[in-house]
Amino acid sequence: MRGLTREYVLQRFLMYLLTIWLGSTLIFVIPRLAPGDPISEMVGRLSLDAGYIENADKLIESWKARFGLDAPIHVQYFRYWGNVFRLNFGYSLSHFPTEAWTMVSDALPWSLGLLTVATVLSFSIGVTIGSLMGWRRTPRWLQLILPGSLTFTAIPYFMFGIMLIYLVAFELDWLPATGAYSRRVDPGWNLPFIKNVLTHAILPVVSIVLTSMGGWALGMRGLMISVNNEDYFLLAQVKGLSPTRIFFRYGVRNAILPALTALALGLGGLISGSILVEFIFAYPGTGYTLYQAIISQDYTVTQAIANLIILVTATSVFLLDLLYPFIDPRITYKRNMR
Amino acid sequence: MTVGQQTVDETTSPARGWGLNTWDSPWLNFKFLLGVAIVGLILLFGLLGPLFWDTDLAYTGAGPLNKPPVWQEGGLPEHPLGTESNGRDMLAQLILATPSSLKVGFLAAIIGMGIGMVLGSVAGYVGGWWDHVIRTLSDSAVTIPALVVLVVIASYVQMTDTTAMALILAAFAWPGPTRLVRSQILTLRERSYVRMAHLSGAPALEIMFVEMLPNMLPWLAASLTGGISVAILGATGLEVLGLGPTRVPSLGLIINQATTNAALVRGLVWWWLPPIIILMVIFVGFFLMTIGLDEIANPRIRQFSSTRRERAAAGELPAVEHAELGGGEEEDAALEVDDLHVHYFTPRGEVIAANGVDFSVRKGEILGLVGESGCGKTTVAMAILQVVQPPGRIVQGAVRIEDRDLVSLSGRDLREVRWRDLALVPQGAMNSLNPVTPIREQMADAILAHENVGRLELEARILGLLNDVGLPERVIDMYPHELSGGMKQRVCIAMAIALNPQVIIADEPTSALDVVVQRVVAQTLLEVKERLGVSMVMIGHDMGLQAQLVDRIAVMYAGNLVEVAPVESAFSEPLHPYTQLLIESIPSIKERKPLNVTEGLTHDLRNPPPGCIFQFRCQHVEQICRERRPELVEREDDHLVACWLYEPERQSMIELEEA
Repeated sequence: MRGLTREYVLQRFLMYLLTIWLGSTLIFVIPRLAPGDPISEMVGRLSLDAGYIENADKLIESWKARFGLDAPIHVQYFRYWGNVFRLNFGYSLSHFPTEAWTMVSDALPWSLGLLTVATVLSFSIGVTIGSLMGWRRTPRWLQLILPGSLTFTAIPYFMFGIMLIYLVAFELDWLPATGAYSRRVDPGWNLPFIKNVLTHAILPVVSIVLTSMGGWALGMRGLMISVNNEDYFLLAQVKGLSPTRIFFRYGVRNAILPALTALALGLGGLISGSILVEFIFAYPGTGYTLYQAIISQDYTVTQAIANLIILVTATSVFLLDLLYPFIDPRITYKRNMR
Repeated sequence: MTVGQQTVDETTSPARGWGLNTWDSPWLNFKFLLGVAIVGLILLFGLLGPLFWDTDLAYTGAGPLNKPPVWQEGGLPEHPLGTESNGRDMLAQLILATPSSLKVGFLAAIIGMGIGMVLGSVAGYVGGWWDHVIRTLSDSAVTIPALVVLVVIASYVQMTDTTAMALILAAFAWPGPTRLVRSQILTLRERSYVRMAHLSGAPALEIMFVEMLPNMLPWLAASLTGGISVAILGATGLEVLGLGPTRVPSLGLIINQATTNAALVRGLVWWWLPPIIILMVIFVGFFLMTIGLDEIANPRIRQFSSTRRERAAAGELPAVEHAELGGGEEEDAALEVDDLHVHYFTPRGEVIAANGVDFSVRKGEILGLVGESGCGKTTVAMAILQVVQPPGRIVQGAVRIEDRDLVSLSGRDLREVRWRDLALVPQGAMNSLNPVTPIREQMADAILAHENVGRLELEARILGLLNDVGLPERVIDMYPHELSGGMKQRVCIAMAIALNPQVIIADEPTSALDVVVQRVVAQTLLEVKERLGVSMVMIGHDMGLQAQLVDRIAVMYAGNLVEVAPVESAFSEPLHPYTQLLIESIPSIKERKPLNVTEGLTHDLRNPPPGCIFQFRCQHVEQICRERRPELVEREDDHLVACWLYEPERQSMIELEEA
């Protein structure tokens, strides 16, 4: 009984559904728990801007009916779920003929690309640094240098991003400050465009990687130190294995397992942080679109993006969960998962 | 207590030893205190600022527009940090904004921690269905990207003050503490001191607060400081996006106003940079506190970094005083241990774990090395194998196999000798196999590290070895967790004989097994030894088992050998008082005798007394025992003992004193 057992997959899948349900329900419920309702708020703000709106009460009523907010809450809830399932979020309020879902799916590839590259880089660099820091045989000069890589660990991505924009883009004028590509290049699979996209991605990626790799490094260092004290680590030495083999097959191989769990659990936080990075760099991903939707009070797009991000996060965690038994053969045996 | 290893007296709560007011306290961690100082200073700036500066200047139109700080050209002394595009004074804004940003963080994290402690305690303590529900909820809640949901909520709900924001943030701050408290309780409730409190009938709440909470404190504190910075980050994120309370000044709001007014492009550095600097200092402060607390909670991390320092202090090179080469007393010795001294360089002094240990193992012989726990048997085994863990170090002596001194070998030379000449059957077979690789790989890498073997031959050899120790062939593709304790130990034996070594060190090979399995494993070891003619050092404290297995026995007390003798004469006429004590303590079914417990304790290993090391527990102690240390000398045929009782000199000295 190794690898994926049916029980394990089923358990993880239920967890996956629960996460989506919980996230989407939060988005549905919390605004409705708050005093006032979005439509009255909106009309109120409109009337502040315009000075006065005729028949504001009627306007509120008709808009409520349009959004289905006049129905009892459980009916609203079922309708909401029906829409989420069909990925039908209606039309964008700010870009009217466009459907909310289209706007969202246009933005998704940019975010996925940016985040995947940044996460893979920061996790692998961080884990490498941490493993070396927690190993007794690491050369001394490396032991002295490595802690330097933790310098930016405590700084949130977006603050580092602002400083990078100011220094690298404005003062030094080395790299573009904002956007995903320049207006002067033609989007498509051609070399100038790809080069342009890559240069635009450097600063956002660097600001995420430099600030987040230290966290992985610190975690991995602690795990590696624990493995250093394990009996099997000692036995590997006594067996006369080469230091590199001990490091990889006995050290990193065991220490990385909890780090991978932490990665799965930390994905939500990574995605949260990337919203701000996209905002600072005006990077046209889901985070930036979400910000624009909120500024223009585009509720349909807001809901669509929030649900999509929850879906993507939960799916990534689910996929990591499915990979895990192949990396840790014990996992399907454990009754109590960490 | 085993010297050099982290051992906790399990029946007393470790937190009780943590005086909060002594200079030894682990809370005096440099990183933690530095973090506290940094956050404290920032807090003081926010709290005391209004006393020194007019905070009314923080509102629109209080001064001229876009003035740089006073040290730049055009700066005004009445606005030392400059003003922004609405004429607001930067210093006054920062003074008002700093405490409100900190307040949100503290409030949200504390509420989250409170919820987490309740849910975590219920999950960990009540268990069952509750545990399942709470764990599933927190596991899934933790993966939801909090900021996304927050942003959506904030876009509907106009937040008027920081308290409202803190409440909403707290909704995302509970899963971390919940998971932590649950796992801590599950770990702690298995500890003996908690179990003892249960047995003594203490109520659950009292156990929770008196026995468990103090031990969780560093973890909880680390989780709290981590939580505070996450909450500040969340709040600042909302403010930067312009979704926080807009009437209350906050650091994030200043950044938001700066970026939306293109302060970056216009070069108004003094507008956007100061709030970022303050926030970074806050984050660095909490980060230092968190990692400091991690070190307090997890002493291994501290130990790891301190051993490096101590190693540097003790000198990098193993300055071993080599015993003269070729000093082997016996021609037919497979392994010679010559005047071995191992010291542990602890912060509280040098612990002498092996003090001139001197013995040899003859070819084809099993030598038993016995003594109570903490006497240094395992240290000697580790020293023979050249894996003494820091802060321990071999300071003197030699370990010879075929006239090669292992102590002087290092790197590739040492790796070649290991396992090929000297193998180990480890103490804890439970944890001695790599949990994530199949048995095949673990046996293969021992063989491949020393020989070039083709794939098919390798497989045949591994199967043969498994067969030798009585394991079925299917074990080859199994993982350690699929095997029982006895099977794992037999895998370890199969691994040890893979290269036909000269010597096998068996470090309490049966200690963690039940009695029946013990016999099977011991039997396997004997068979293997008979067939291969391998020499063996069998370490253990079970005298009964030793009597059945070994040829000669070496008795160790407090880092010294006190008696070495053939097993028959050691049991029939033990010479050293300590050996006599050990043999008397073997329980017998036929007669029940009162346990003979000697008073007195082992001396402090950092400071051995002059004279005999057993003097405090010996019934025959005389003046000479307190003054001069007895040598290990052959008293009868092949029977060595270190005791004045058998020294004619002593008799005459006693007579002299009496005269």
